[in-house]
Amino acid sequence: MLVSRLGRGALAVWLVLPLVPLLLWAAADRWSAPALLPQAWGTTGLAEARAAGAGPAAVRSAVLGTAVAVLATPLGALAGRALTSGALRAPGLVFAVLLSPLVLPPFAVALGLDVLLLRLRVPAEVGLVLLLTVAAIPYTTVVMRAAYAAHDRHHDEEARLLGASAWQVVRSVHLPLLAPAVAGAAFLAFLVGWSDYVVTLLVGGGRLVTLPLLVGAAASATGNDAQVAVLALSAVLPPVALLVVIGSIGRRARR
Amino acid sequence: MTVLHRWYGRALVAAGASAVVLTGCAAPDAEAPAAEDRSWDDVLAEAEGQTVDLWMYGGDVQGNAYVDDVLAPAAAELGVTLRRVPIADTGDAVNRVLSERQAGVTEGEVDLVWVNGDNFATGRQAGAWLCDWTSMLPNMAGTDPDDPLLTTDFGTPVDGCEAPWHKAQFSLVYDAARVPDPPATLAGVLDWAEANPGRFTYPAPPDFTGSAFLRQVLYSVSGGVEEVPLEYTDQAYDELSPALYDRLAELAPALWREGDTYPQSQQELDRLFADGQVDMTMTYGPATVDDLVADGTFPDTTRVLTLEEGTLGNASFLAIPSTSGDQAGAMVVADLALSPEQQLAKARPEVWGQFTVLDLDRLDDDARAGFEALPDSAVVPSYEELSAGADPELSADWVTPLDDGWRREVAAG
Repeated sequence: MLVSRLGRGALAVWLVLPLVPLLLWAAADRWSAPALLPQAWGTTGLAEARAAGAGPAAVRSAVLGTAVAVLATPLGALAGRALTSGALRAPGLVFAVLLSPLVLPPFAVALGLDVLLLRLRVPAEVGLVLLLTVAAIPYTTVVMRAAYAAHDRHHDEEARLLGASAWQVVRSVHLPLLAPAVAGAAFLAFLVGWSDYVVTLLVGGGRLVTLPLLVGAAASATGNDAQVAVLALSAVLPPVALLVVIGSIGRRARR
Repeated sequence: MTVLHRWYGRALVAAGASAVVLTGCAAPDAEAPAAEDRSWDDVLAEAEGQTVDLWMYGGDVQGNAYVDDVLAPAAAELGVTLRRVPIADTGDAVNRVLSERQAGVTEGEVDLVWVNGDNFATGRQAGAWLCDWTSMLPNMAGTDPDDPLLTTDFGTPVDGCEAPWHKAQFSLVYDAARVPDPPATLAGVLDWAEANPGRFTYPAPPDFTGSAFLRQVLYSVSGGVEEVPLEYTDQAYDELSPALYDRLAELAPALWREGDTYPQSQQELDRLFADGQVDMTMTYGPATVDDLVADGTFPDTTRVLTLEEGTLGNASFLAIPSTSGDQAGAMVVADLALSPEQQLAKARPEVWGQFTVLDLDRLDDDARAGFEALPDSAVVPSYEELSAGADPELSADWVTPLDDGWRREVAAG
C-alpha cells in the first residue's frame, strides 16, 4: 500500500516536474542565470505568443486533430474487430502491416509522398489529413484490437435475438460497451494531428499554421523562452484536459 | 538571418536535391525559368487581389512583427495580401519547392522565401527559383548594381533570381564588464582565449555561425582575406587549411570545457554567454543583440566587437519559387520591401534593426536624411563602422570541406 502510494507519487512528480520550469518561464519577463527564480514577472511571453497567432493556431491544431481522430478511429475499430474475429487467415501479418507506419520516420514519409500527392493534384489539406490518418491508424488499431479481444460478442447476439435492429445493436449495446476504448483511440489519433510538425509543413504546404509550427519557429532562436513556454503550455494543456474528460468517461463506463 | 542554415535543414535539402537528381528523367530540367519581361504597371495590375505566402525563418520576434505590422499592411494598400508562414528552418521551404517542381506544379504554395547562402545555391541548381525578374523592380534603382554583396550570394551569382532584402555582418559579441580590454583583431581574440582558459568557445560547425567563425579564422591565419581565393580548389584547401586546423587544435584545451565538447548551435553559445559561462558569443545578425540586451537575456554591458581587419559580410534576399502561382504579387512585395520607406522602417532598432541594402548616395535627400538620423546604439556600432573593410564570403563550395575538415582534425583530435 505504502509502496504503491510512493510509486504513484514519484510518477506524478516525474510527469509534473518538467512542467514547472515551463510555468515559471511563461510568466517570466526576465530570468537570467544564476538566479533560481525569474527576476521579473510579467506577460511578455503571453503577448508575444498572441502576436505570433497562438489563438488561431490552436484552433487549426484542434481542427486537424479532430479530422484525424474522426477518420482514424472508425478505421482502427474496423481493423481491431477484423483482427480479433478469427476471419483473417494471417492476423499477425495484417497487424504488422497496419503497424508499419510506426517504424517509418515521418520525415521519410513526408518527403517521399509529397511529390506523389502533388503529382496527383491532391489538395494540400486533403493530403495532410490523409497522411496523418495513416500515421494514426496503428494507435487506434492497437487500442481497438485489445478492446475487441476483451469484448464479449454474445451481448450483441443477445440483443439481436431480443429483436433489436443491427443499428440499434451498434448504438445501444456495442458502442456503450466499447466507449472507453473508442474514446482512448480517438484521443491518440487526435494527438497525432494535434502535435504533428513535419507533415503539416511539407505536405500541408504551410496552409495550416498550427501550434507545433509556431513552437518550432519560436524555439529555433535565443531569447524567446517566455514565448516558447506559453506556446508549449498551450500545446500541452488542452490534451491533458481532454485526457481527464476521457478518463471520466472510462470510469463512468466501468461503473 | 543567422539561423537560416542548420544541419537538419542541410541534410533534408540534400535529400530533396538528390531525389531530384535520382528521378532525373521525371524531374523538370534544372534550367532556371526566366520571368517574361513586361512593364511594371502590368505586374501591378496582375498582382491586385493575389495572396502571397512568404515562408520565412520564424524565430525572430521582431522580424515577425515587422512583416505582420509594417510590411503586410503596406502590401495590402497595393491590393496584395501578404501571409507569413513561420518555419524553423529555411531548408523546409526549399524542400517544399523542390517537391512541387518535381511534380510539375505551377500553382505552388510558396510564393516568396527569405533565403541566402547554400539554400539559395541548392535551389538554383534545381531550377527552383524564378530568374531575371529583379531588374523589373523600380526600387532596384536604389541599390548599387556593382555591390559585390548583392551580385553574388556566397559565391553563387544572383543573376536576378532573388531581390536583396538586408545586409548582415559577422560579429563577435563580448561582455565589457568581464572583458574590460577587448582584443582588436581575430588573432588577438584567439590569444585572449588562451590567456583566459574556459571563457571562450564557438559553435561546432556545420552550425551556420560556427562555420562562419571557421572562415573568419581561416582569413586570419592565412594572412588576410586577399590570401584566400574565393573560388574553391582542392589545391587552395590543401595549402591553407592545415594552418587553420593547427591553430584551432592548439586553442582547444583553452576553450570552454577544455574543448572536449562544443555548443551545437549559436543558440547554445548564446545561452552560455547569457548565463555567464563564457565571455564572448558571436552572430551573423548583430542587429538582434540590441533586443537581447533590452529584454535582459544578455547583460547591459554587452558590446559588439569591431575587428581591425574587418569581418565577413553577406546579404539576404527574397526569392520567388519557379512553382509559385502568385509571382506578380510576390514581385510587388519584393519591390515594396526594397522601398526606402520600408528599408528605413526595418532599420530602426525598435522595429527590427536590419541593415539596409540601399546605396544611400542613390537616394533622394529626404530618404538619405532618414537613414542618417537613425539613432546610435550603445551596443551595436553603425553598419558603416561594422562593415568597414568587410570581407567577402567564400564560395559555398568551401563551406562543406572546411566543416568536414574541422570535424576530422579538430573535434576528433
